[in-house]
Amino acid sequence: MQAWYLCENPYPYVPQEVLDNVDSVRGSLPNRYCDPKVAARLYEECLDEYRLCNEMGLNIISNEHHAGINCLYGASPLILGILARETKNVRILSLGTLVTARPDPVRIAEEYATADVISRGRLDIGFVKSGGSEMASANSNPIGNLERFWESIDLIKTALTAHDGPVSWEGKYFTHRHINIWPPPYQRPHPPLWAATSDPETSVELAKRDIINATFVRGPDGTRKSWDAYRQARKDAGMSPAGPDRFAYMGFTYVGDSDEEGLEIGDKSLWFLRVGARSAAQFSRMLPGATPAAQAPVLYRTAPPPTLAGGVPHVGRPAAAFRNVTAEQAVQRGVMFAGNPDTVFRQIMEFYDKVGGFEHLILMGRSGFMTHEEAEKGIRMFAKEVLPRLKEVKHAPVA
Amino acid sequence: MSGSADKITVNGIELEVLRRGQGAPVVLLHGMDTVSPKAPFLDLLGQHVEVIAPSAPGFGNSPRPADFDTIYDLTHLYLGLLEQLPYEKVTLMGLSFGGWLAAEVAVASCHRIANLLLVDPVGIKIGDRETRDILDVFNTNPADVKGKSWADPAKAPDYDSMTDEELVIHARNWESLCLYAWHPYMYNPQLKQWLGRISAPTLVLWGDRDGIVTPDYGRAYAKLIRGAEFALIEGAGHHPEQEQPERFVRAVMGFLGD
Repeated sequence: MQAWYLCENPYPYVPQEVLDNVDSVRGSLPNRYCDPKVAARLYEECLDEYRLCNEMGLNIISNEHHAGINCLYGASPLILGILARETKNVRILSLGTLVTARPDPVRIAEEYATADVISRGRLDIGFVKSGGSEMASANSNPIGNLERFWESIDLIKTALTAHDGPVSWEGKYFTHRHINIWPPPYQRPHPPLWAATSDPETSVELAKRDIINATFVRGPDGTRKSWDAYRQARKDAGMSPAGPDRFAYMGFTYVGDSDEEGLEIGDKSLWFLRVGARSAAQFSRMLPGATPAAQAPVLYRTAPPPTLAGGVPHVGRPAAAFRNVTAEQAVQRGVMFAGNPDTVFRQIMEFYDKVGGFEHLILMGRSGFMTHEEAEKGIRMFAKEVLPRLKEVKHAPVA
Repeated sequence: MSGSADKITVNGIELEVLRRGQGAPVVLLHGMDTVSPKAPFLDLLGQHVEVIAPSAPGFGNSPRPADFDTIYDLTHLYLGLLEQLPYEKVTLMGLSFGGWLAAEVAVASCHRIANLLLVDPVGIKIGDRETRDILDVFNTNPADVKGKSWADPAKAPDYDSMTDEELVIHARNWESLCLYAWHPYMYNPQLKQWLGRISAPTLVLWGDRDGIVTPDYGRAYAKLIRGAEFALIEGAGHHPEQEQPERFVRAVMGFLGD
């Protein structure tokens, strides 16, 4: 197995009385609550943590979110530029630039190709569907988001693989008459492609496009469902069976000297779900198109009628289901791996067995009020004590 | 034809149509939500005129064909509808979002329009580039949107007492409105300079307490249409036809001449 480290670089230092009185910590929280001097320290620390990952042989993930306390990385390609130069040993995955929130996918392809060249072919490219408050922050229509997602991926792939002079694109959402990016990507035909999604319908599409499927906070059952759909879609399409290298799972992860320490520090990262995910109704359940219209009776009424309360899927972003989760519950539900090295390895392998195996483990690392020192200790402990054992894992032959 | 809902097909596109009353034909283009068949103003208006209220594709129970997703599509659909109806001329009335569409249709052609009624319409840009004319109903907390939409928010639809079907339609309407009107938000930058083309007698009606888009915007709108009258409906927000049905119908019939 391979491991990838992700830190979203949150900004948790907003006074509690402010947080208690706003409807959203994303999208609309005034940026006067973000002190750029504090932000500068956070960037420095988090980029140092990435540098440590490079030293310890832990691959790196860069992501982006906009206008919120959950993530100070507003532009993944910008951070990729730093990482491509500062690291030498590990792979860098952008998971990802919010492609549906950018008007010109060709520019994204250009930025990715540049990072791939600077890093001499160490870039992986990931796509995230986006949604929620990101639609407001980017002025992007939430209706048609999914269709734009697929078209932008297709266009980026076209831009990355066209090498014989300008090509043209006249799609539904994007048009570009003169696509000819310089430099082209270092890796051919293009860097490996990933996408983060947790719904089986999207997994089916990823399978057909041979894109690595990463899931997040779905736990073993939801993950298995998505990956089974992926495997089946490959079969249905007459493609080669999906191996474990097509699957990635992201869990909050912290390795301490003891189980107590692992849980105590790991608990801090759950701030991401408890506080950092809080989003106003207009950016979540009431966002047009976020939930099928057929579920409106549950969405709009103050209390769902008993006949509908059961069996209706949870609406909104998955994180909303974890608002009051404890560290122990998070571990139990397979959204966090925390404890001493033996415990964490065992938790990961239990999850591995439940979902039918996967090649890529994504560690959601520093979050909330976890300190720089704690984050670096966790990275070192994981890289020294757990990663070597994961690298030894032999996947079962692909059926 | 009282209280019936039927269908009409324009350019191969099927539209649900609500019909009410008898008399001179009034084509009513709904606003952000479709017109509820239970709305009291329908019966009041139906005592004087025949109301023909189509649901735009994606709204109400009208299907939305693939690639039908712009104001351009809606404008041409309604131009086609006016040509297809068995009347030489109709009164075209648009509420809010439908007022925008009615203005677009009238700019394109007034050949089939006897009178134009715009009720709290959106669709144009009046203020400077840093002043939004129309409340952002998508990016604003729903409770604030409700407060700005109604002179008396107690008159807002009560989701708890609506049927499942009504709520599903409301959600479809919300999605479709977002599709058509997200960007540029609720207006066509080109429309303002063409409003002078409208040749039909026009009344611009406005809820005096509209917090979605203010009466001043309405006055500016009316000034751009030759000879247009402007009138306020007292005690109404963005939906005067629902909040003050009697006053609304009185104002409409005062203009049309009963």
